[in-house]
Amino acid sequence: MNFYPLSIITLLFLSFTTVIGAEVNIYSHRQPFLINPFLEKFTEETGIKTNVVYATKGLAQRLKAEGKNSPADIILTVDIGRLYIYDDLNLLASVNSDILDRNIPQNLKSPENKWFALSKRSRIIVTSKERVKEGQITKIEDLADEQWKGRVCSRPGSHVYNRALMASLILSLGEKAAEEWAKKFVGNLARRPQGNDRAQVKAIFEGQCDISIINNYYFGKLKYSDDPSQREWAKSVRLIFPNQSAEDRGAHVNISGGGVAKYSKNKKEAVALLEFLSKAASQKMYGEINFEYPVNPNVETTEELKSWGSFKSDSLPIISIALKAYEAQKIIDKVGW
Amino acid sequence: MTAFESNQDLWVHLVNTVLPIYVVNTLFLFLGVLTLAGGLGISTAWIITYYSFFGKKVIEWALILPLACPAYIIAYVYTDFLEYAGPVQGLIRNIFGFNSAADYYFPEIRSVMGAIFVMGFVLYPYIYILARTGFNNSPRSLYETAALYGRNKFFAVGLPLCRPYIVAGLALVAMEVLSDFGTVEYFSVQTLTLGMFNVWIGMNSISAASQIAIVTFVFIIILLVLERKARSSQKYNDTSKRLNNISPKELSLKKALFAICFCLVPISVGFIVPIIILINNVFIGLKPDSFFAIFPVLLNTIFIGLTATLIIILLAFFSASSAYFSKNRALVIIYNSAATGYALPGTMLAIGVVIFFGFLDKFTGNIVFLGGTIYGVIFALTVRFYAVPYGGVISGYSRIPSNLFDASKSLGYSTISTSYKITLPLIRTSIIAAAILTFVDIVKELPMTLILRPFNFETLATYTYQFAHDELMIEASLPAFFIIITGLIPILLLQNQLNSFFHSKN
Repeated sequence: MNFYPLSIITLLFLSFTTVIGAEVNIYSHRQPFLINPFLEKFTEETGIKTNVVYATKGLAQRLKAEGKNSPADIILTVDIGRLYIYDDLNLLASVNSDILDRNIPQNLKSPENKWFALSKRSRIIVTSKERVKEGQITKIEDLADEQWKGRVCSRPGSHVYNRALMASLILSLGEKAAEEWAKKFVGNLARRPQGNDRAQVKAIFEGQCDISIINNYYFGKLKYSDDPSQREWAKSVRLIFPNQSAEDRGAHVNISGGGVAKYSKNKKEAVALLEFLSKAASQKMYGEINFEYPVNPNVETTEELKSWGSFKSDSLPIISIALKAYEAQKIIDKVGW
Repeated sequence: MTAFESNQDLWVHLVNTVLPIYVVNTLFLFLGVLTLAGGLGISTAWIITYYSFFGKKVIEWALILPLACPAYIIAYVYTDFLEYAGPVQGLIRNIFGFNSAADYYFPEIRSVMGAIFVMGFVLYPYIYILARTGFNNSPRSLYETAALYGRNKFFAVGLPLCRPYIVAGLALVAMEVLSDFGTVEYFSVQTLTLGMFNVWIGMNSISAASQIAIVTFVFIIILLVLERKARSSQKYNDTSKRLNNISPKELSLKKALFAICFCLVPISVGFIVPIIILINNVFIGLKPDSFFAIFPVLLNTIFIGLTATLIIILLAFFSASSAYFSKNRALVIIYNSAATGYALPGTMLAIGVVIFFGFLDKFTGNIVFLGGTIYGVIFALTVRFYAVPYGGVISGYSRIPSNLFDASKSLGYSTISTSYKITLPLIRTSIIAAAILTFVDIVKELPMTLILRPFNFETLATYTYQFAHDELMIEASLPAFFIIITGLIPILLLQNQLNSFFHSKN
């Protein structure tokens, strides 16, 4: 035991001095167990070592406080709102990369090339296979219909995913209609908003409610869960990609993404990692590991995801969602979602 | 610093919409947990101190165990257990032949009541430990007097005499409740702390979030000041050391069984049931790889825990002693306000530390870079958990008769040698107990370590969190189990010390 503190201190001193070999330091809002498979492959291909700090909150404040001294090279996040906070605090560097320009569509990156979406997830409706008929619900707006009173479950509105959905409704319906929708939606709830997206599917399985909204990948996680009971939950629900009719806007999508830190000392390596993550092989991995959709238009969606149905996604520039977060939260507070 | 920006528009919105809900929920949770934890802690401490029955040795020690369980982990565990699909309700449906949730009433675990339940049952040991010391140190003569006058021993003597200890315990619990994020987030209970994060992350306004943090902070300070005011009118020094021995009353078999069952409730709810569920999960998801992965994480946790505990205990002893001897009011106020760091949510405190380090590193031109190092983590832990031993050490001091110091001083000994020769031995056991509490708290700590840690550095809590955050209970159970075990190690190792702490006569 005695040598351990010593070895830690030695390691720390070593970490202050210049390190041999290329490295890239990552501030991540994504759990290590989800990004490690990507990073291992990256190191294997490029020889660049990766170091990670993971936290759900506060990393932007840390980066800001560290200023020019920050060791961080790259930021990886889920949800456009979180990603945009870094941009808003002016913590990201503009990146000029032909590879990124080619792999990531215009509406899924920052106008100044400061951040880039790396995967897409769709916010979809799930309904009970038994208690809701196919075709009865086709769009998000339907969830405000009075016939579903006491039959809808939801995660709290203040969660980033619901806030982003709310923002997308403000953008497409206008602030007044969006608030009206939210009020009626909350009126239809079977129980106080609670639980994460898994818990919503579980509640439908248990019969506490019949309808909910989840991120598409949760369905995959449940369908292939190690826990047999979770696989049963998945079997009890039908997936609906909302707002698909020819004249409609398409399903709301959110992203995971990343950007290079403004004061990165390893910019070349950081850009290399972003490029790596936008490449076909990695884009496919997002689907295989986490049931997410590729952002790279040249990459095919995995067979599994295809089997859930194809869909058109809302083509709003993703940044507009982040810019409406404040208004969305206001409505959420007002209606008590 | 960020708290001084003007957010008038935002505050108008908050006051008109969610703020009243935040305040009501916070107050409800606060009073509920204090009542439950206080009731459990004081009643069990009283039973253990004043009665003797078979199995008491095991029970008096087992009553501390829930301390090792982080509240948010217990919240996860009980949700699965008590939910509609969980075994408890399943059993109820089977027995009574119910078919759906509409057929019967079962309280919802994801609610304010659920949060009170979970926090009350894991936080009561703080009060139990401190109340026991208090009861133990109350002189027997006073109980005899009470008996002579036909007064209730508990209300007439035990409770008033023990008050500084109980208050120290309640203050710790209160601060834990106000700073909790994990449990209230999981149960979707809209407290001020949850609201703070909605404003910060949702409305991208860290300054308004800090202002909410300050509201809760002021609230706890007002409470502490009020309590201190109320107490300062009563001063009591125990001089009757010889009569201090309390001889516990032997209970009849029937009463002994009742006492045992009573004490088993908090032990089972706060420890046995959750640990069984966790172990069960560990076996469901058993993979040898996960065991090997945990080993270095475990070492990190122990290293951080020991280092920070040592620093905190030294600081607490130093500050409590100097506050006691110097009687300098300014000093006392500084120390007391330092102890309120415990009432701030860890994440907010971590951000304060990050800003402070950023400033320091710029100021010193990077001679030592503190941001994102292990020293930073230890510093933050010190700021946060300094309150834990400080309260205990101070209440230990308040019970040492001042004539002892006066005697030592009049014999020509300096304050320092008095502390070393008189005080330290007298409050040694209090310090050990305080060290255990601190270590356990550090092992459980999540939000600050998460934000401040260096690259590739995991503690058991952060390692658990990456799974628990996604409600992957099976994967989270193994590291969560280790958090509890690690917290238990010092309790087990120092069992003798703890025992003598409980039975110490100052």
